[in-house]
Amino acid sequence: MQLLLSIDAVSKCFGTYQALRDVTLSVGAGEFVALLGPSGCGKTTLLRCIAGLLIPERGAIRIDGDEITAAPPYRRPLNTVFQNYALFPHMSVLDNVAYGPRRAGIGRAEAYSRAREALALVGLEDMGARMPLALSGGQQQRVALARAVVNKPKLLLLDEPLSALDLKLRRRMQIELKHIQEKLGIAFIFVTHDQEEAMAVANRIVVMNAGRIEQAGTPGEVYRAPATRFVAEFVGEPNLIPASPAGPGRVRLAFAGLEVPAADGVRYAMVRPEDVVLVDGQASADVVTAPGVVEDVVAIGAMTTLFVRCGDVLLKIARLGMAPADLRHGAAVTVGLRPAALHMIAE
Amino acid sequence: MISARTAPALLLFAPLAFFAAFFLVPMAVVAISSITTDGGALTALHYTRILLDQYHWDVLWVTFRIALVTTAICMLIGFPLAWYLVRIVRWRAWRRVCVILIIVPLFTSNIVRSFGWMVLLGRTGLVNQGLMGIGLTDRPMRFLGTETGILIGLVYILVPFVVLAVGNALATIDRGYEDASADLGVGPARTFWFVTLPLCLPGAVSGAIMVFALAVSAYVTPALLSGGQITVFSMLIFQQYSSVFDFHYGAALSVTLLVLTLVLVGIAGRIGESGRRAA
Repeated sequence: MQLLLSIDAVSKCFGTYQALRDVTLSVGAGEFVALLGPSGCGKTTLLRCIAGLLIPERGAIRIDGDEITAAPPYRRPLNTVFQNYALFPHMSVLDNVAYGPRRAGIGRAEAYSRAREALALVGLEDMGARMPLALSGGQQQRVALARAVVNKPKLLLLDEPLSALDLKLRRRMQIELKHIQEKLGIAFIFVTHDQEEAMAVANRIVVMNAGRIEQAGTPGEVYRAPATRFVAEFVGEPNLIPASPAGPGRVRLAFAGLEVPAADGVRYAMVRPEDVVLVDGQASADVVTAPGVVEDVVAIGAMTTLFVRCGDVLLKIARLGMAPADLRHGAAVTVGLRPAALHMIAE
Repeated sequence: MISARTAPALLLFAPLAFFAAFFLVPMAVVAISSITTDGGALTALHYTRILLDQYHWDVLWVTFRIALVTTAICMLIGFPLAWYLVRIVRWRAWRRVCVILIIVPLFTSNIVRSFGWMVLLGRTGLVNQGLMGIGLTDRPMRFLGTETGILIGLVYILVPFVVLAVGNALATIDRGYEDASADLGVGPARTFWFVTLPLCLPGAVSGAIMVFALAVSAYVTPALLSGGQITVFSMLIFQQYSSVFDFHYGAALSVTLLVLTLVLVGIAGRIGESGRRAA
């Protein structure tokens, strides 16, 4: 994959508050990257540094090899979909979308035909004459997207673009965004604090915390093999089983006295709730079992989460569908997990 | 007992009574006296007298010209000042000081202020001494009795209205629009022209309307600074009421000025309204 954007040891302060600390990241052409993290983790600051709305104190940002660290936003080959859309309220939808091409000196007819094309891409070809404030939130979001892609940038930045939409619309827009991204072949950098959203849309997830990148990887890597406890807890629900040293290169887990090989400094073994099962009768040979007592049952229809206490550890167990009635508070069960599903975490 | 229905009526009574007593009734009195004779008979004579007399048109032209030029200068000075206060000043204490400095002239009496300008703008006044001192002119310039003098006096007192109206509009514009424009590849000057300016047009227009209305109807400042050389319409009205004691004719002059001003303000308001509907 061809390198498009490279961010090299970028730092940014607001007064004494360090919003970004030595952030280094590369984005390839056509990639769909999600910047994921809690509020205040620096993801929006990083996005604004890429867009040129903030200038970092240290580090370098390059697009296609050209350094743009301190270039003004209007000289960068990228466009942004803003969180509140920032549609010009004094212009019609079509004028909003045509604004970029028209001001770039492209002829009037050509600019409007490009704008109509971009509106068709987001399914709003009939809304060109309307004013932005007369549209619904979802439609405004589409207009903002059309306005940002009409210039055919190499890179599109999206700052929590779906956060103002209701859940159903949001799910639909996630799928649509992914289709649009694949169709246009533009690299997307998508800021979100919603891990499900990040997993749903992105090819690569960059998890940020306290101004640093904690981990960057495919959704599968970040979910299955989180680098830190923070990532494990922020992306999905982890079961963290405490581990204590048991000789060189081995740790003993607080689950069935299980001993597994592990590097030095490992403090937890993480296992996802769907990898923990309830065992009826005889377990297969590769499953380690331990007795437990059900503490809570949370059923939401498609999925049921059981909270089962095994000694000192409270394990979350995810099962498809509604749980049978005899699985209720106080029920004695046998819990099983495969050691292969365990992932060791140092901190 | 005050019921839920009578409470709002009681609350509304005082302001409505005030409005009727001090705005509606005097207006009606002026309007009626402008179309009646001393005997009480209806007549259009006062209006034909005004409209058929070239002198009145000349005075109207001077009045509106002064008001329009005043409005234009106030906008040219007030807009950058508002921009400075809202966009450039970072230190809140300094911004507050600036706002107070801009508003302070409004606290002084109109007459005192105009006499002050007479002293400053006179042949040996501070302004002429200063101009000669830095060598801009060899002989004292004439300000008193010229339109320039009236303009200086009016602009001085009307600029604050523009600064406040435009400053308020600028402060409420979401900077995100300008970020979005820059993000779309448009530089600062064109972003100002295509985004910022249209968005603060409603505030600018309301400031301009205020300045224009006050400049058209100004009496004390033009009267004192004209030195008897220039006549504006409000001076004609004052003469009729205070010297000639022809209240009917004075009323007709007042209504004429009012109607013409409202027509111009209506046109300006329509421009502002189109901007506001968009914003």
